[in-house]
Amino acid sequence: MENIVIKEVQDSPYYPSIDFNAENGVCEIAGESYMEETFKFYSPLLDWINKYIKEVGRPLTFNFKLTYFNTNSSRLILDMLDIIKKYQDEGGRVSVNWYYDPEDPDMVDEIQDFELETNVKINLIKFK
Amino acid sequence: MNISSYQKEKVLSFHGPLTINLLSFIGNYLKSVVNTDQVLSSRLYKIFIELTQNVSYYSAEVKEVERGIKSGVGWFLLNEYDEYFIFTTGNLIKKEDGFKLTRNCTEINSLDEEDLRRLKRKTRGEAKIRDIGAHIGLIQTGLLSGNLLDFRISEINNKHSYFTISVRLNK
Repeated sequence: MENIVIKEVQDSPYYPSIDFNAENGVCEIAGESYMEETFKFYSPLLDWINKYIKEVGRPLTFNFKLTYFNTNSSRLILDMLDIIKKYQDEGGRVSVNWYYDPEDPDMVDEIQDFELETNVKINLIKFK
Repeated sequence: MNISSYQKEKVLSFHGPLTINLLSFIGNYLKSVVNTDQVLSSRLYKIFIELTQNVSYYSAEVKEVERGIKSGVGWFLLNEYDEYFIFTTGNLIKKEDGFKLTRNCTEINSLDEEDLRRLKRKTRGEAKIRDIGAHIGLIQTGLLSGNLLDFRISEINNKHSYFTISVRLNK
């Protein structure tokens, strides 16, 4: 199974950087996310997670390092967490870490809302 | 198309097609130009992106900015006062969308913070994957602002109305 690596590009900072590694199961999303075609960007990531669960079936670690995401992106992040929750319920081992700036109080609310919506435990990690 | 910037009062204004590259450029400019604390600057940036993207996606006036790429046309204005910022956007809408927008904004204005967060979770959970709609963007704007959404819908003709929304962000 192939990895997904998308580097952050200075000219289009509305796309986050992506590093989904099929060998160690570590998936990282970093930067900002407010692109126009949100579904088009996130759909391959959702497909990758589903494929990893089906074909590899080993533990997964998600490291969210998003400093900003718009509400459209939040809908697709929710889908990602829903897939994670389903995998956990079926016995899959997944840990979710969210690195956040403690000077951004709104981000903690966002993460709590994701936890309430999905019942996925999200570990809060200060990065600044 | 016009961009203007001043030290006081009117910080920034623009009228034209709101493309993603333009919003990204001005949004990042806003982060650096607004001389205030980090939380306020961050909230202003988030409100800027949500409201201008609503114009970009849902304006009834659309312009082709590159071959095959269209973008919604509208305007935004950021004013700074001693105690707060006011951010306003305006755009043409289909007349039939006016009722829904009025209903959504009125609902948002009637709720406190906890109920708004509950509405946001419910709206997001029920939204179709491909199109979350403008509603959750307005809920998020209400949450970030902590103030009422000041909106106005004016009838233009049988097909179109004009939608303006102003949000106050206290310093």
